[in-house]
Amino acid sequence: MANWVLRGLRTGIKTSPYPKRGDEAVGVSPGRPSAPLSRTNDAVAALVERCPTNAIIPHDGGVAIDHGRCVHCFRCQGDTAESGVPWESGYEWAAVPDAIARARAKLDRAFGRSLHLRFVDAGACGACVSEARQLNNPYYNLHRLGFFITPTPRNADILLIAGPISDAMGLPLRKAYEALPTPKRVVAIGTCAISGGVFGPSFACAGGAADLLPVDVVVPGCPPPPLAILHGLLTVVERKPPSPLISLPGQAGPT
Amino acid sequence: MSAAGPLFEVFFVLCAAGALAAFLVPARATPLVLSAIGSLAALIILVTSAVLLIGDGGFRVELWPVLSLGTLTLSADRFSSLFLFVSGLVFLPVSLFSAVYLLKFVTHHELRYFSVLYHALFASIVLVLIAADAISFLVAWELVSIATYLLVTYEYERDESAHAGFVMLAMSEAGTIAVAIAFIILSGTSPTLDFTGMRSNAGTAGEGLRWAVFLLSFFGFAVKAGLVPLNSWLPLAHPVAPTNVSALLSAVIVNLGIYGIVRVNFDLMPATAPSAGLIVLVIGSFSALVGILYATIQAEMKRLLAHSTIENMGIIAAGLGAAMVFLATDHEIVAGIALIAALYHLVNHSVYKALLFIGTGAVEAGTGTRDLDRLGGIVRRMPWTSGFFLVGVLSISALPPFNGFVSEWLTLQTILRSALLASTSVKIIFAIAGALLALTAGLAVTCFAKVFAMGFLGMARSKGAGQAVEAHPAMRVALGFLAATCLLLGILPTYVLPFVDRATAPFTHRSVIAALVPPFFDVTAQQQEKVPSAFLGEFHDLGAQVGNALPGRGLIVLHRGEERNPVVFAMSTFYMFFMLALLLIVTFIVFRLLTRHRTLSQGAAWDGGLRRLWPGITYTATGFSNPVRVVFQVLLRPASVADNTEAVARHFRTAIRREYTESHIVDRLVLGPPVDALGIAARVVRRMHVGNVNAYAAYVLIALLLVLIAGVGLL
Amino acid sequence: MNALKMTIPELANEVQPSTNIVDRCDARWKGQAAARLDRTGKTCRIECAGADLVALCEWLTDEEGYAFATLVVEESAKHTWLLTYVFYREATPPWVYVEITLDRHETSVPSLVGLAQGPSVDWHEREAEDLFGLSFEGHPRLGEFVLHEDWPDGVNPMRRNFDPRMRLERREAGPAWQPPTVVVAPGSFAMPVGPIFSDFAESAHFLLETVGEDVIHTIPRFFYKYRGVEKIAEGLPVDRVLLLAERFSGTAAFAHGLAFCQAVEAIDDVAVPARAGALRVLFAELERLRHHAATIAGICNSTALAIATSQAALIEEDLLRLTCEIARHRYLFGVVVPGGVTCDVTEAQCRRLETALADVADRLSNLHRMLRYSSSFLDRLEEVGFVSRGAAICYGIVGPVARASGIACDLRKLHPYAAYHSVDFAVPVERDGDGYARLRLFFHEAEQSASIVRRFVTALPEGAIRAEPVTHRAGAALAAVEAPSGAAFHWVRLREDGTVVRFRVTPPAFANWHAFHLAAENFAFQDFPIILASFGLSNAECDR
Repeated sequence: MANWVLRGLRTGIKTSPYPKRGDEAVGVSPGRPSAPLSRTNDAVAALVERCPTNAIIPHDGGVAIDHGRCVHCFRCQGDTAESGVPWESGYEWAAVPDAIARARAKLDRAFGRSLHLRFVDAGACGACVSEARQLNNPYYNLHRLGFFITPTPRNADILLIAGPISDAMGLPLRKAYEALPTPKRVVAIGTCAISGGVFGPSFACAGGAADLLPVDVVVPGCPPPPLAILHGLLTVVERKPPSPLISLPGQAGPT
Repeated sequence: MSAAGPLFEVFFVLCAAGALAAFLVPARATPLVLSAIGSLAALIILVTSAVLLIGDGGFRVELWPVLSLGTLTLSADRFSSLFLFVSGLVFLPVSLFSAVYLLKFVTHHELRYFSVLYHALFASIVLVLIAADAISFLVAWELVSIATYLLVTYEYERDESAHAGFVMLAMSEAGTIAVAIAFIILSGTSPTLDFTGMRSNAGTAGEGLRWAVFLLSFFGFAVKAGLVPLNSWLPLAHPVAPTNVSALLSAVIVNLGIYGIVRVNFDLMPATAPSAGLIVLVIGSFSALVGILYATIQAEMKRLLAHSTIENMGIIAAGLGAAMVFLATDHEIVAGIALIAALYHLVNHSVYKALLFIGTGAVEAGTGTRDLDRLGGIVRRMPWTSGFFLVGVLSISALPPFNGFVSEWLTLQTILRSALLASTSVKIIFAIAGALLALTAGLAVTCFAKVFAMGFLGMARSKGAGQAVEAHPAMRVALGFLAATCLLLGILPTYVLPFVDRATAPFTHRSVIAALVPPFFDVTAQQQEKVPSAFLGEFHDLGAQVGNALPGRGLIVLHRGEERNPVVFAMSTFYMFFMLALLLIVTFIVFRLLTRHRTLSQGAAWDGGLRRLWPGITYTATGFSNPVRVVFQVLLRPASVADNTEAVARHFRTAIRREYTESHIVDRLVLGPPVDALGIAARVVRRMHVGNVNAYAAYVLIALLLVLIAGVGLL
Repeated sequence: MNALKMTIPELANEVQPSTNIVDRCDARWKGQAAARLDRTGKTCRIECAGADLVALCEWLTDEEGYAFATLVVEESAKHTWLLTYVFYREATPPWVYVEITLDRHETSVPSLVGLAQGPSVDWHEREAEDLFGLSFEGHPRLGEFVLHEDWPDGVNPMRRNFDPRMRLERREAGPAWQPPTVVVAPGSFAMPVGPIFSDFAESAHFLLETVGEDVIHTIPRFFYKYRGVEKIAEGLPVDRVLLLAERFSGTAAFAHGLAFCQAVEAIDDVAVPARAGALRVLFAELERLRHHAATIAGICNSTALAIATSQAALIEEDLLRLTCEIARHRYLFGVVVPGGVTCDVTEAQCRRLETALADVADRLSNLHRMLRYSSSFLDRLEEVGFVSRGAAICYGIVGPVARASGIACDLRKLHPYAAYHSVDFAVPVERDGDGYARLRLFFHEAEQSASIVRRFVTALPEGAIRAEPVTHRAGAALAAVEAPSGAAFHWVRLREDGTVVRFRVTPPAFANWHAFHLAAENFAFQDFPIILASFGLSNAECDR
């Protein structure tokens, strides 16, 4: 056993500097498309055509990116400004959906310092599950920020949902949501859980968690990297400000 | 001569009247009449025994002389009275319960027959307890055996009841024969079958004879008490017997075995060497462990309770054994405490076991099953029965402040007093016995947590349990009476122990109550006894505060030692009860105060997102106790397992059947080999029956020849 | 399982002389079946009548040593049914398609489940029954499989006339509804696990039938995550279906994307440039390496060995970051396209890969060594979750789970694709079939993957990474790829305009989850997470 302890000690501290500072490590995030300023109409049309999930929307002489639909297929990525959209780095992607933002201009400070969360896989492809699981690894170490995983939704404050909500998971998901004591928050992670992604809505699954439950925070990405999920959790407790879900032309994305 | 004599007469007349009345009233009214007369008789026994226990006078009637063997005598000392009291205490609620319970037999069975046997049983039990000579004792003893046998096999049309009855009767008869031989030995050279005469004979008997008497009588009485390895009849007889008879079996009849052991080993022939006591101690501790192990893995409530009776008899026997050892080594006070502990446990066991059996009867009446695997969830449908049953469960699990705790705690404490003994080997045996009893106590909690959790809580696992109906008020009264007794015996042991002490004092030659329940408040007693000052300093205040308000001997069970070590052990279930109640109330109030601004919302149990929960996914009693089964599999091999798989279309399993075959360790290791040997011998002997006249003629000739040779040899 | 073991032929031991399968088929099934080789010579098509299906397939599996791969049900525009039973083995030709055609009103097909290898077809038939409404005669357990109990009766979503965008009114399951159980023992009951687990686990439901701590039998229930990928794909263009192929199982995205692209390339007859082929191997092995590291982390986690879990998780995250650095995306989404790959590897990245993977391999072997000397860890794994070789063959198990039970089958060797023919690597095989054997196998395979990548980065062929775009053709093709958890079969049928008519995915998890209950028998309850983790399977991949 001492062997293992020694091995652990020798590995040293791996913890990400986020959220105190930005994490500069290579590969923590695949980045995402950003909206450049202005384009010709032809270029806009070509870009819109290139996106298979309608995440690129013509907007005000340029294009807006609806991150809630983007599935990171990289088909819009281009080297020059005209041939594609530039990709921005970063991971602070969590957003507060408009409807909620209007209903509750400010998420009330109902929660203390530590929060318990329950993860529900509602038809996720496995990548979101994997990224959420990474939060437990020594790099991201969710617990240091006061977030704990609980086995039962009875003890949870936050419901973390991934997947487009397959029909067979609709009932379990609703049960889990109802089992959560109030006050409760729902965080939908991944494009599927926001808009249904490439799957929904269809005969077998809904078009995202908002079809069934009130969603408080969404974390776009396909899959959102662990730091983006972390940003989502920090957004719930208002330790970090949310980002917009749709990047409009001219808007500077988060770094 | 006190009022006891006439009271006994009234009792026997009542029993006879009860038996007769059954022939005079219609069948439908029989249960009610039985109940009324039985309860009345029980009340009279309670009063009689109370008179004898409290008063100073004894009871002694000499009937008629038999040949030159002495006079048939009936006599009741305080020790008998204690047992009489317990019998009355059990017969009263059982009779009440019978009024409703027996109705289920009205259409199919002859109730007159039951009524006669019931009253005969009660009368013969009382007779055993007041017999003062070997002949009347043995006659009464046989009457009990036969009445019990007939009652157990009351539903004679069932195969298993015939088998159980046969095993019970056979073992019981073997026991009676052993006891009879022991009495003959004890009557010695000056043939007297009077207990008084035997007492004086025993004093002069040699070591060999004493051992013979001890072993034979212990064998005979251990059969009745159901001690390992003579316990086989108990788990067989209980499930087949009508439930009121089961209650009497476990709460009264097994007590007679203990009565006999104490009568012989403390009264007629007090032990002089520790060996006999050690045997009783070891057999008692093993009985306790084996009993509770098998109880834990049972799912049928009556069989479970029967195994638990073996356990409790084991605990009592262990206490008796310890008392015998302490007495033989001249530690009279500790011996007295051990004896009191054992007998107090006997009282407690009778009360809670009767409660549990009657509760089982009520559950069966309400749901139609006694199988824990098929019960569940009845606490919501049978709240009264469940509440009273819970009291019984807590008592038998020896949890404070209920009565089982007091006596088990005392038994363990006295066994820990083995430090007083000189011999190291005896100390080691005591230590092992103590460990076995502690393990037993732990398993008992597991066992009865299972009974209540699986039988009464959760979801109903069968239709019957789902539609359970609350027990009849008469049953509830019987249950409530016993539950209240459990609580009272639990929180007020200091008021009961003096009477037990009065019953045992003659055997230990002194009253030990002052060393067990000190006279805090009784100033005169305090002056008489030399109370160490250190002791007073520690305990007087506490006692005095309550003592001013309450009469009696205080509320703390405490063994007082020497000046140097004033308190050896101390405990007060009353204070525990008081503090427990206080804490609960305070917690409740504080909680309500703290949460008065909160709204309470209730949701369904978290089910992992399943469509719905169904009874098939709740833990069963078998499942709950399976870890115990697995842990002790190596030791006891309580069951053999056979898996049987059925499949369709070559690969699709439609059923995996797992069957358990129960095999009790005693049957396997102790009874099995001799029974097998007998079988083989019988087969050999059977070969002699060739069915040929010539062969039989040859047998006659050979036999005659042998006799002649023997005769010639002798001459 | 003992009875089962005896009835199963030991396939690998009786390799048939490789005379032509067509000749042997003609000789044996004269007049009943028509066999012909296709133009590549790799596939033998045998057409037969429904009545001869069972006997023919029994001949193929029991005498010819073929293993069942997948069943493809297609409903043509004319409403006739085409059922293609795909078999494969290590021989020439490796593929045999048994085809039967049914009339539109004929929905009854003889079931193959009674064969020695029947269980490998079991789930395929149940799935087809649920989704197409075909009925398989002789199958004892049909209904409530992919579609759960609340799905309306008589609606078969894979039928042509079913609109995939239609939201159906679900029916209320009756109050008496409960899953069937098989254990009959005094006091037996079932412990439900899932569908929502207590950790970051994928949704599935397991009913553990038990008499206490000992679990006698396990009944798994899947398709909680059924997203109808095969149905959604119908009528969509290839590049849109590629998104589905990649994303239905995110942890094996590249392998499934590759299989889909290979099927499309086979139809369109596209030659993939050499560099693209090499890069495909590189990315596929990178994915396998990460997948195995994640599985190892999962196994360590299931035994609550905290530091080992952390070490494995660090390796996993390092590989994710490395993948992101090399291929833009942590899970290799959007990398593979028909005709090649979209992202090249620079010389500097090659060096980076070489050093990084040397480090990863080093840490993995270090971890393996330390685990081997942790007896408390081995106690939890040894003799836990045993799958016999016979059962593995019978159930058609694939991938690492099969290889841990002594079946040396790997599509990379059996039927080399991409650039696997140009690299020499070992296929580790273990014989014990228990949890520890699977763990060892994951370590050895990860080692091999790292070494394959390191050998490729030193000698990447020059050239384009993507073939010139070609026009799509009409046709159908099957592609087989060894995904991280085993053989994946993708059947694609295209129309001339490049839209997908039928997309049939048989992922490895589909075959292996089916056999999971064999490993989850007669064990102590606390071993369940270990057995689960040692299979290293994805539910999303199985459910689709």
